[in-house]
Amino acid sequence: MRHLSKIGLHAVMLIGVLITIFPFVWVALMGTHTRGDIYSSPPPFYVGNNLLQNYAELLDIMPFWTVLFNSLYISVMGTIAAVLFCSMCAFGFYAYNFKGKNLIFGIMIASMMVPPVLMLIPSFLTLKYLGILDTHFALWFPGAASAFGIFLIRQYMGNSITRDLLDAAKVDGASDFRIYWSIVLPLIKPALATLAIVIFIGLWNNFLAPLIILSSPDKFVLTLALRSVQSIANSPWGAIMLGTFLSMVPLLLAFMFFSRQMMDGLTAGAVKG
Amino acid sequence: MSSVTLKNLSKSFGTVKVLHDLNLDIEEGEFVALVGPSGCGKSTLLRIIAGLDNATSGDIWMNDKWVNDFSPRERNIAMVFQSYALYPHMTVEENIGFNLRISGLSKADIKSRVSEATDILDLGQLLDRKPSQLSGGQRQRVAMGRALVRNPDAFLFDEPLSNLDAKLRVQMREEIKRLHQKVRTTSIYVTHDQIEAMTLADRIIIMHAGRIQQMGTPTELYKNPANVFVAGFIGSPSMNFLHGQIQTNQGKAQVLLPSGATIDFIDRGNLPADGRVVVGIRPEHLEFATAENRDNVFEGKVDLIEPTGAQNHLKISVNDQTLTLVDTSLRELNIDDTIRIHIPVEKVHVFPHSE
Ligand SMILES: Nc1ncnc2c1ncn2[C@@H]1O[C@H](COP(=O)(O)OP(=O)(O)OP(=O)(O)O)[C@@H](O)[C@H]1O
Ligand SMILES: [Mg+2]
Repeated sequence: MRHLSKIGLHAVMLIGVLITIFPFVWVALMGTHTRGDIYSSPPPFYVGNNLLQNYAELLDIMPFWTVLFNSLYISVMGTIAAVLFCSMCAFGFYAYNFKGKNLIFGIMIASMMVPPVLMLIPSFLTLKYLGILDTHFALWFPGAASAFGIFLIRQYMGNSITRDLLDAAKVDGASDFRIYWSIVLPLIKPALATLAIVIFIGLWNNFLAPLIILSSPDKFVLTLALRSVQSIANSPWGAIMLGTFLSMVPLLLAFMFFSRQMMDGLTAGAVKG
Repeated sequence: MSSVTLKNLSKSFGTVKVLHDLNLDIEEGEFVALVGPSGCGKSTLLRIIAGLDNATSGDIWMNDKWVNDFSPRERNIAMVFQSYALYPHMTVEENIGFNLRISGLSKADIKSRVSEATDILDLGQLLDRKPSQLSGGQRQRVAMGRALVRNPDAFLFDEPLSNLDAKLRVQMREEIKRLHQKVRTTSIYVTHDQIEAMTLADRIIIMHAGRIQQMGTPTELYKNPANVFVAGFIGSPSMNFLHGQIQTNQGKAQVLLPSGATIDFIDRGNLPADGRVVVGIRPEHLEFATAENRDNVFEGKVDLIEPTGAQNHLKISVNDQTLTLVDTSLRELNIDDTIRIHIPVEKVHVFPHSE
């Protein structure tokens, strides 16, 4: 009986996995067909023989590797910056008492309730005023101080770091930065990994911000480049699908890397000392 | 090693004053216990001495240096926390060596000093374990090791044993005492366990509501408590108290109880002008009356018998008051038995009524 229910469970999970993975496989397969094949009926659900031509066409319609690198650069820089700034800021909120601390924290939390779309125009105007339109910096830097990130890490610190621990480090003679670096950071790894993955995916998938900020094609990111070629009357779908598939690979790798960290951290924290 | 001196030290949190004008002198190498009920300001005082908190007013001197503005590191103190506060992500070795690493010692130096400390504390087998893989007593020892390894000028302990079970507590108490006899570092030890304080300390400071009530050796505090609070705090079971009025009868100092009975005592001075006093008698000083006893003999009824092995604690009701008596003779008694008890006149404490 228990055996049977286990088989059932696995069947359900397997179906779930298949449904989730189908679009990815579909995209991958379409990347190997010509435009004509893709539109044939029934659709060709097998590996085609047009991969190399699609690849050549992809490089023809956009500087694919440059664009991929741009996306990667922005996502990596943004993720590192966000993890660093948010954790420092959260540490400040957690470990120090200063006048107006609760007010500032409250305002920061309140800012999360403003829909991002509303900030599009003000942020565009600000970036224009600063003269950094059409730069990658304008894409990854402003998001580094994320209210959500600070909140997430601040809350996690509350659960994983006791005040005695900070005091013990102080008594041991650690400087403020040393406490942050050697004591706090290692203990909030799971929260950092969570934040990193959220920020990374957000930046990688971001379309709206690059659309209004970037104008030179050689600075385009993947989302923008893949969208821009679709306006051509005869969209080269095979090439676009190949590009789309390739653009998913780094995300997959990033996820595998960070989720590993998340797991490590979670199990290490589970039995607290 | 260093001496610690506090002058008119006060601390307020907002409008709440938790420490009132403390004055204190701790000598080099001394082991001082700080005891008092929960919330009396022991931890606050310790944190101020450590440099983790600032005093609102007053001065702190260590070795004739004014250290109010010094960081914990500059004061060169080590502290053991009630929660141990070990770094969960570091091994035992890294935990103990952390402050040496901050000081920039070489790897070899760190290793030898850590192993010196772990040898004393018998932690040699556990160097590669994380705190989560240790028992409570082992964690406690690691916390001690972390303090010990740096040869501090003073040890500060904040209830280091209160998370351990009774047996381990006694064992660790002995280890701490032995350790102090070996290294002779000035130590300030916060506890609310009077037995711990009595057994460990050269001197005990009793605090209540942010004020020092009395300082002295354990024996002094037991024999000559300065006030009702200290008298009730030191000694177990705690002292019996009776309210009354002093009077003189044929040249003998007496306390007249509301019931009309009188207790003779020896007048050592310091009696209040209005004559309202509290009489204190330790349970272990109450005894069964014999035929020779003439004065301070009372008749009472046994209310309750609590055997503790070597002695029985008897609750005896005398004229509507309940007195506790420690009976080391383990006399066979039954509830409601009528017995006669005697209070030796030289063991009667008399305190002004004020508190
Ligand atoms: N950060 C703080 N803000 C406001 N009040 C505080 C703060 N820390 C302590 N207090 C107050 O100061 C008083 C003394 O606290 P403290 O922690 O020193 O007591 P304690 O003697 O160590 O008690 P315990 O035996 O329970 O540890 C308490 O009334 C407490 O509520
Ligand atoms: Mg305390």
